Amino acid sequence: MEEQKAETHNTHNSESGEEEAHTLIRQYHVEDQHVLQFLDSLDGYLTLYDSLSSTLRQGWLELASARHSMGASRVNSAMLDLKFHSAATSLQVTQNDVGSKEANFTLCKWASSTNANCSSGEEKFKEDKLQTKYDSPQLRQRSKSQFSETPEQTSAQSESSLIVDDQVQKERSKSLSVFGTLVSPKLRGAQLSFETALEMLVEIANTRSTMLSAFDVVKRELEDIKG
Amino acid sequence: MAGRAQIPTRNAGLIAMIADEDTVTGFLLAGVGNVDLRRKTNYLIVDSKTTVKTIEDTFKEFTAKDDIAIILISQYVANMIRFLVDSYNKPVPAILEIPSKDHPYDPTHDSVLSRVKYLFSAESVASGRR
Repeated sequence: MEEQKAETHNTHNSESGEEEAHTLIRQYHVEDQHVLQFLDSLDGYLTLYDSLSSTLRQGWLELASARHSMGASRVNSAMLDLKFHSAATSLQVTQNDVGSKEANFTLCKWASSTNANCSSGEEKFKEDKLQTKYDSPQLRQRSKSQFSETPEQTSAQSESSLIVDDQVQKERSKSLSVFGTLVSPKLRGAQLSFETALEMLVEIANTRSTMLSAFDVVKRELEDIKG
Repeated sequence: MAGRAQIPTRNAGLIAMIADEDTVTGFLLAGVGNVDLRRKTNYLIVDSKTTVKTIEDTFKEFTAKDDIAIILISQYVANMIRFLVDSYNKPVPAILEIPSKDHPYDPTHDSVLSRVKYLFSAESVASGRR
């Protein structure tokens, strides 16, 4: 009888021990997830900075080339417009909570009162990649399917995208006009490079936000373990 | 009390810059320049004549403004006001240290990476896992 009681007690102890071990394993699993998230975002942060550095270098080189061809007196900070004007490129910031440390940034490029071309940096890269993909002749659909667009829809979409493109080109030209009516193609190239750099910076800002949020969680868990 | 759904707050924000002439010019070409009615700009061009006090005052002004979402600051300029940059820890505006022509990006000076390198110190990892 006493042996049975001891066995039951031992079984109960081992079961609760197993449960505790499972709980600890689950806890460490959760910690590992957060650590991985932190390390992933840290890696992404550093990789993005590498890409940003090379994009900025290209932009500076193009700016220097434009200055060389147009003359230093035409491409310098004295030409900058100091009359009242709003930024054509701005950001949308989303925070889930007023006190939250995590914020999400979305770039709105060349936004005017009629048009807003907002996207996060990552989406813009994906859009550009998709555009390149669908321009490829290998993916042309020869037969109609239920998912194919009607000609009216396609033409309406392409018309609206043309209007948006026109607006964007107008805003770009307005920005370049500060340096004169006729500008070097290198200056246009510099403009595009710095636009790309902006998209990368928005991605960096979002990655930074994720990294700091994951860091806070991991730090708290480490402090809890220490007790 | 039932859990309340968190409504995301959306705010429009400017990109401010404290950097050298070429970097500021480049980003202004990309359309980020803003001049308000008092002719105050969202950028400061740093050259050899710019004093540290001017940089500090501009940094404090930009971080206090509600309509600025990101501040781009050349890392060599951030090094001049390192104490101020490192002590700033709000999520918005986000401070991003960027390279300049003559000063490439150095991760060891980045204020965000300095904050998180605590996790990689032997003391913090070893003591947590004992």
